[in-house]
Amino acid sequence: MKTRYSAYYALPYLFWIVLFVIAPLGLLLVQSFNNIGGHWTLANYQTYFKSGTYLRMTFNSLWFSFLVTMVTLIIAYPAAYIMTKLKHAQFWLMLIILPTWINLLLKAYAFIGLFAQDGSVNQFLTLIGIGPQQIMFTNVAFMIVAAYIELPFMMMPIFNALRELDPSLINAARDLGANSRQTFMKVIFPYSLSGVRAGVQAVFIPTLSLFMLTRLIGGNRVITLGTAIEEHFLVTQNWGMGSTIGIILIIAMFLTMYLTRERKGRGKQHAK
Amino acid sequence: MQSERFKAPWLKLYLALVFILMYLPIAYLIIYSFNRGATMTAFTGFSWQHYLDMFNDLRLMQILVNTLIIALLSALLATIIGTFGALLIYQMKRTGIKNIFLSLNNILLVSPDVIIGASFLILFTMVGFQLGFGSVLMAHIAFSIPIVVLMVLPRFHDMDTTLIDAAYDLGANRWQVLSRVILPYAWPGILAGFFMAITYSLDDFAVTFFVTGNGFSTLSVEIYSRARQGVDLSINALSALLFVLSLMLVVVYYFIATGVATRSSKKAGHGQLKVVDPQ
Amino acid sequence: MGAIIEFKGVALTYGATEVLKAINLTIEPGKFYTLLGPSGSGKTTILRLMAGFLQPSAGNILFEGQQINTVPPEKRKVNTVFQNYALFPNLNVYDNVAFGMTIKGKSPAEKAAKVDEMLHLVKLDGYGQWEISELSGGQQQRVAIARALANEPEVLLLDEPLSALDYKLRKEMQRELRSIQQRLGITFIFVTHDQEEALAMSDWIFVMNDGKIVQNGSPVDIYDEPINHFVADFIGESNIIPGVMKKDYLVSFLGRDFENVDGGMRPNEPVEVVLRPEDLDIVSEEAGKLVVTIDDQSFRGDYYEISAHDDDLNQWQIQATNPVEIGQRAGLYFDPEDIHIMRLHEDEAAFDARIEQYVEDEQDEN
Repeated sequence: MKTRYSAYYALPYLFWIVLFVIAPLGLLLVQSFNNIGGHWTLANYQTYFKSGTYLRMTFNSLWFSFLVTMVTLIIAYPAAYIMTKLKHAQFWLMLIILPTWINLLLKAYAFIGLFAQDGSVNQFLTLIGIGPQQIMFTNVAFMIVAAYIELPFMMMPIFNALRELDPSLINAARDLGANSRQTFMKVIFPYSLSGVRAGVQAVFIPTLSLFMLTRLIGGNRVITLGTAIEEHFLVTQNWGMGSTIGIILIIAMFLTMYLTRERKGRGKQHAK
Repeated sequence: MQSERFKAPWLKLYLALVFILMYLPIAYLIIYSFNRGATMTAFTGFSWQHYLDMFNDLRLMQILVNTLIIALLSALLATIIGTFGALLIYQMKRTGIKNIFLSLNNILLVSPDVIIGASFLILFTMVGFQLGFGSVLMAHIAFSIPIVVLMVLPRFHDMDTTLIDAAYDLGANRWQVLSRVILPYAWPGILAGFFMAITYSLDDFAVTFFVTGNGFSTLSVEIYSRARQGVDLSINALSALLFVLSLMLVVVYYFIATGVATRSSKKAGHGQLKVVDPQ
Repeated sequence: MGAIIEFKGVALTYGATEVLKAINLTIEPGKFYTLLGPSGSGKTTILRLMAGFLQPSAGNILFEGQQINTVPPEKRKVNTVFQNYALFPNLNVYDNVAFGMTIKGKSPAEKAAKVDEMLHLVKLDGYGQWEISELSGGQQQRVAIARALANEPEVLLLDEPLSALDYKLRKEMQRELRSIQQRLGITFIFVTHDQEEALAMSDWIFVMNDGKIVQNGSPVDIYDEPINHFVADFIGESNIIPGVMKKDYLVSFLGRDFENVDGGMRPNEPVEVVLRPEDLDIVSEEAGKLVVTIDDQSFRGDYYEISAHDDDLNQWQIQATNPVEIGQRAGLYFDPEDIHIMRLHEDEAAFDARIEQYVEDEQDEN
């Protein structure tokens, strides 16, 4: 096809790319080298790397995101696998998607009631004889709610990857003498890895930046990178330091994407 | 053989458990919206009280209206801008440039909310833009554009380019090719993009929280500030309302997604005519 | 009659790739032309140049004497039937056929009349309100033809339009296309890689290979007098054996001399000899001009396809009405006029000149 259209129609789009994609990231980078007075400085980065607090906070955030990702993966993979075997797979997929259409805040809010000192979970624990526990404002509470919110985002890509698997590949494996365990390990699992990678990206990165959950559920005991950024921007008004942490978050994001990228060669063959 | 193994009941039980856990908190919220009491811990009887409270809460209703206006307006504008953006990317011949644009497009999709929120806050402050309705609207348009592009672009790529050739061949000019062939073909993708943009907007908390300033609020922000003060069952009532709204959106969305298929099956009444089939 | 489309030294290059090399051709009004060649030979490229989707890198395209190199497709009086039909899926049959008229802003009454006429022409009366997705492949094909013809083009371009249809339907559409062309009296330019289709439908065939027109002529000419190995092989099956033209009307191959009807070559010029499988008769060993051993045979419905080898181990394809025994030795008989001679590396112009020359010589002799 020839170039029959000019970019004329797309001017607003180009405008958007410059103003809302390139400019904000550029500004964030510039801001990270500014001190509170607005002067150019490396101090933010020095503070970040020298004070143990920031590094510990970053490590904690990464650790919690890792745990949340693992929990969702362990729950989601078998569930997605079973789903592909059901009739009306589309309907079940819709059931996974539906909760993602419900406002995040409402889901978090539900857990405030559930986890309260005299809430339903504690009533249940009392009933089975364990007795009421402090759940709200604990690390565990944060992880449960984060995992709950992120679960559909792990299930969807895995489900899609498994469903794209050509059933004749499974038949071929069986035909060639593989038992169901071998078929799973040699054919199904390698094939679904692209879905797992996408799921890990879709869960790990947002979990790093969740900030309202730490406030509502975690009771500020878990400080994520997101919480730190929000704190610096909206509470202490130290935009320079906030931007520095933002840049760290972006680096962490790219690192995650790099580590979970589609591997060339072997990986590519599985994907096609 | 495969299916036999999956008749094992415990596997289905596991799946059922996952789904129950997924919906339990939502059901819990909605059930307690009908509670006569004022807490989420003990259900003391049925009542519409919290719904009345919600509708009488003028501030909440104003925020609800604001939220819907922002959602519809930002989705509409993002759909228009994004569709033409997708058209631009579709027409790029050099794969290198195309990939650069696709990457730029996707930056906001993969960026964490806080980064978007914080960087937009810097942007609006730098250019001296007043925080409030305008900044929230612009931010919502901005983060909805890439999803529209991603929903529309596959429809363009899916389209057989000879359709465009055929239209030119039959005498159509550029605008006619666009309005009569390309856009109608991409229509399901455009609608899907519009609905995704609405949900993105309704669902957003973090970006709005950064760029909203003092005078203006959306539901997410309002729920956040109320939830920090403790349980308020009119929020439960609101969540029930939003759940129904989401459900409706999902239904509409699926009708659109399967729209092409339903369109042709609707014409099944032609069945009798098929006798004259020349073959 | 004057030419409706002319190509004068038209070439097309993409970077370093020469897709078309200095094409010259003339299309006269009211005829059925076929561009025949293997995929990648440049036949569809010629069609797209005519339609205006491509512009030549060199040379000129003339339409009724006017240079149209850069005229866009929407301004040309030609319409295309696309290989995959390219029907607009969001429009029904009626709106598809009426598309060109809608664009031109014709009145609803005018449109309705024309659509009815066109649907009648392609035998789809009453299908106006059908959705494209409800039609079979053959019906979609007809709609595509109706849509292109509704624009009243002076030339209709058809880009392998029958390739997606099954054998029987393809045969039927070949007959119908031919009859539509004769009824309307406009020019059809048909692209195909199917030699049988080309021979059955065309008034005139352009055989293409590697971006060049290798030979053009009536179907009978091309079949009977292929210019080279490529054409002989591409148009029907052929037995091609190296030989030497000893003098006019005497050719030697497989160590024997045969009388033939070709001439105008240098004495003792090496040539290629073509014998069509259907021109070979199986006779007794003694009566045959050549002796072969039968390797294999397969039944093809109306004939037997037999493969055999001679004593020099050349492979032979023979079509026979009666079965033979595998392993049997048999004679092959053919008449002098069944022997077709191809000179090595002769181009079309030289070929035509030689044919003309020796036809004149023959007339002189008589």
